[in-house]
Amino acid sequence: MRIARAGLFSFVFMLSLALQAQQDTDGIKPIPILTGYTSYFTRVTGGQYQDAPSVTPLLLLPVGDKWLLEARGSYSDTFSKDALGNYNGTNSYGLAYAQIDYIANRYVTLVGGRFITPFNIYGERLAPSWIRALQTSTLTSPVTSGSGLGGMVRGGFSLNDSVNFSYATYFSSNNTNHIVATDRSTGGRIGFFLPHQRLEIGGSFQQGLQADRAHSSGAYLEWQPNRNPLTIRSEFVRSSGTKGTGYWVESVYRLSQIHSLRRLELAGRGQQFIAADNLSAATIKKLGALGKNIQQADGGLNYYLRSDVRASATFGRQYVVGKDANLWVVGLTYRFVMPMWPQGSAQ
Amino acid sequence: MKMKFAIPTVFLTSALFLSLAAFAATGSKDAPKETGSTSTSAAPATQDENFHLEGEKRYRANCGRCHAAPPKFPPRMMATIVRHMRVRATITDQDMHLILRYMTE
Repeated sequence: MRIARAGLFSFVFMLSLALQAQQDTDGIKPIPILTGYTSYFTRVTGGQYQDAPSVTPLLLLPVGDKWLLEARGSYSDTFSKDALGNYNGTNSYGLAYAQIDYIANRYVTLVGGRFITPFNIYGERLAPSWIRALQTSTLTSPVTSGSGLGGMVRGGFSLNDSVNFSYATYFSSNNTNHIVATDRSTGGRIGFFLPHQRLEIGGSFQQGLQADRAHSSGAYLEWQPNRNPLTIRSEFVRSSGTKGTGYWVESVYRLSQIHSLRRLELAGRGQQFIAADNLSAATIKKLGALGKNIQQADGGLNYYLRSDVRASATFGRQYVVGKDANLWVVGLTYRFVMPMWPQGSAQ
Repeated sequence: MKMKFAIPTVFLTSALFLSLAAFAATGSKDAPKETGSTSTSAAPATQDENFHLEGEKRYRANCGRCHAAPPKFPPRMMATIVRHMRVRATITDQDMHLILRYMTE
């Protein structure tokens, strides 16, 4: 009973702090900003070199107290050697999302437009090059990273002092434009975050509403122990569309306890994708990497030259029956943030 | 596929080992900080300290989960960034206000 009272007291105390913080910050009016990142990476995949400079701008346009327009695009050039040793470049561009957010209340945010589908955490939170710990992508990312066109309801709120709950559910329509193509689908994600333990666990589902009506389910975990600069993340995905199951486990350790190495981060990841046994040759060809059983081990270093400039090196070894390969990625990322309005005073 | 689960197991084991080693190495670092405050207005100082500690805690728990700690930006830019992160990372309303207050101190 005493523990329950202490918990209730703590919850009420935190609530009063939050209300006071809200009063203190209500006068700070947000301004439009342009942020995003640029990167230059050299990739070697099974002996094939590629150099890829890219820029990924993100425009944030707040309107009033409850609205936010946000859009993230990308442009990259990829240079690779042909059989004669000459470098050829191809460019690509895209629009990851362009959405309008309406913060209805503390429980609900409504989203409309093109958005990243909320499936597990890699696509929405970890995929940008300046954030991801390892520059090689996860084997499950083709399943979990996608965009939708339609509407989404999402939010996050405290259930009590010890648990935060988050959710996102969406509906997407079919769009065949080659730049902003989306599938007709629905799905969602729920998550529980324990702030004291700094542990988040959650699950996702996705149901295709066209073609073979594929469905996917997934689970994720993220844990940062309080006493050391370690992050452990993991995702599990099962998809009927690619008839496979995959997972990855990643650990990231920042050497902040050693002064001379405090800017260095070590990362390692193990992952596996298990394809179904009954895929036809045509399906395997269509699925590409996801049509085969793959195991992959990745390790890497990130060095923060500044808080916004990071040098990264990643090595991966991919085990595929009859075609093992080494994957190297070395490069730099720069995250930029610039105001698009006079900053003036806080008002 | 003889090594079917070997690689992830090795990484998970390594991560747990690192966690335990770091836990042992930093066991005494969580002692409460001395504030050294000599302010005569004790109540506002305590409240400010509460805001600072709680804001920092929420900032580390929410922002540091995905990316390295960003620097503090001017308040009106920070308000935009925090609103964006509220939607993107589904952080709670309470956390958003405490983090914004902390980042604009």
